[in-house]
Amino acid sequence: MRLLLVEDDALLGDGLRAGLALDGYSVDWVRDGEAARLALFAEGYDACVLDLGLPRRDGLAVLKELRARDNHTPVLILTARDTLEDKVAGLDAGADDYLLKPVELAELRARLRALLRRAAGAASPLLQHRTLSLDPASKQVTLSGRVVPLSGREYALLHDLLSHKNRIRSRQELETGLYAWGEEVESNTVEVYIHRLRRKLGADMIRTVRGLGYVLGDAS
Amino acid sequence: MRTRLKNGLTPASLRAHLLVMLLAATSLVWLAAAWWSYHDARHEAEELLDAQLAQSARLLMAQTRHELEEEGAEHLTALDFMDDRELHPYEQRLQFRILDSEGRHLLSSANPPPTLTSQTSGYANVVADGQGWRVLQVEDPGLQLRAEVAQSLAIRDELAQKVAVRLALPVLLALPLLGGLIYLVVGRALRPVNELADKVKARTAANLAPVEARGLPRELQPLALALNRLLSRLNRTLESERRFTADAAHELRTPLAAIQMQAEVAEASADGDDRRHALQQVLAGTRRATRLVEQLLRLARLDPLAGLSDTHPVELEVLAAQVVDELRHGAGASRLHLDPGHDTGVIVDGDADLLGVALHNLVSNALRHAPEGSEITVGIEGGNGGPRLWVADNGPGVPEDELAYLTERFYRGRSTTTEGTGLGLAIVQRIAELHGATLLLENRPEGGLRATLTWRA
Repeated sequence: MRLLLVEDDALLGDGLRAGLALDGYSVDWVRDGEAARLALFAEGYDACVLDLGLPRRDGLAVLKELRARDNHTPVLILTARDTLEDKVAGLDAGADDYLLKPVELAELRARLRALLRRAAGAASPLLQHRTLSLDPASKQVTLSGRVVPLSGREYALLHDLLSHKNRIRSRQELETGLYAWGEEVESNTVEVYIHRLRRKLGADMIRTVRGLGYVLGDAS
Repeated sequence: MRTRLKNGLTPASLRAHLLVMLLAATSLVWLAAAWWSYHDARHEAEELLDAQLAQSARLLMAQTRHELEEEGAEHLTALDFMDDRELHPYEQRLQFRILDSEGRHLLSSANPPPTLTSQTSGYANVVADGQGWRVLQVEDPGLQLRAEVAQSLAIRDELAQKVAVRLALPVLLALPLLGGLIYLVVGRALRPVNELADKVKARTAANLAPVEARGLPRELQPLALALNRLLSRLNRTLESERRFTADAAHELRTPLAAIQMQAEVAEASADGDDRRHALQQVLAGTRRATRLVEQLLRLARLDPLAGLSDTHPVELEVLAAQVVDELRHGAGASRLHLDPGHDTGVIVDGDADLLGVALHNLVSNALRHAPEGSEITVGIEGGNGGPRLWVADNGPGVPEDELAYLTERFYRGRSTTTEGTGLGLAIVQRIAELHGATLLLENRPEGGLRATLTWRA
């Protein structure tokens, strides 16, 4: 899962990035409105945490342009602007959620999970496929009721596939969900983790679609 | 609606004042008119009574002449046309005496007039037995007769008194009525004042809308206009206070949010390096919040000052050397220089501590914003332009349209993401104001920003 974090304050941005990384997201962090705009239009993100008071371009303007261009990336506004008018304006501009600073990390993480869940079209907090079940809140994966221990990257990859159930995920899409900007990408990583997941969950759980990528469930 | 002042005095009431003044003025004018009328009436009455006296004397003489010619002097004593019955309250009881040329009494009334000391013709006022008399002497040279006719002066006084009472009574009765009318009319005329007061009373910090001046009497227009100017000034002040408070809250909330976030990350991190990094960030956030609070407090202390109470001569070169020395121990020290200039012993009057804070802020600003490797120079100039203290860097400078905003509180510049409280230059500006100096921020022609504090020569 790949997130864009837009926060101009160095200290808070650093904390948010570290905090969100705890949930296994790969987080790209930009510090002004212009950079946020470029990143959002250049890359596909699963969600965006957006501050409003930003240098160079206001967060609300970025959001409006994003929606005007028919970009549906889920956006969570995280700001210190606490008036009712600001909240209404933010949500009406196309934000999916509006949180006030200072925010509890636990709440931010829960709201992001909810946001991603709804974006995936699911109401249940659990991501499921056949007897496989993934709980994003506890990061626990069970197979036929039995807990399957997974590493961070294995979990992130499975989360990605389960969130995009029945859709083919390319190797590159899966890779960007594993690494944030600046992180060194090892070659064949995705293949390595797919192999490990198959060993733990059963060989037929993840199907390979030759030349296109991988899919969980029936490719549409 | 009467309010008591702290010293226990009731404030002067316009209505009571007008009432007293108008009644006093009316009474005064009336008194003058009454005095004049009284004297005029008295004079006319005297003329009338004198004429009556003359008529009586003439009648008496004619009667006497007739009696003398027809009947002889002896018959005169038998003559009695005196009738004591009054036909009218003001009827004169005629008092007379008729004398012959030798001064012998020929005829007199029952109560004759007082004896006159001099024998001249005409009117005279005589006092006899404590009573005043008006006496007229008439001579008939043909008959060698002289008549004296007298009238009590008391009648005249009584008449005058009655005239005076007639004049005074209606006015005395009318005065309370007039007072009541004045009270009502003044109250009605002052109603717009009460309405204006009610409008002003309705104004609160949340509602400082201008008072409607249309429809107010001309005399109240200047008051309403002045009031509206005051309200708009107050509104602006309150607005900027509100904005500052909101900004300060926002600025304080950010480092606190960061500290909380980093602390939560530290708590949740399994990795030792991540945890250490998060804890370092907690410390950095605490330091930043502390600096922000210090600067807010400094501004809060500087803001209400009208001037400096305790100033001493400050030698700018010594001050600059101290600040440069302090900051040289920090990061990027090698790029900080002092240019003492050609003028030695440039001295200004001021607070050395505050000036130190101002210069410290200017130099820190340059260190923070000018990129790595740029040179920062602190300079001093004396001369004709007045004492000047400046800090210059050879960094990229600031966009021209942003220069004016740099001293605004919490303004950090559109394109900068460097850490600062956004209060440093606002503090410098305030310290400059307190010293009667000006702060000028300008882009140097050769590149970079130059901040100059200039004192009047």
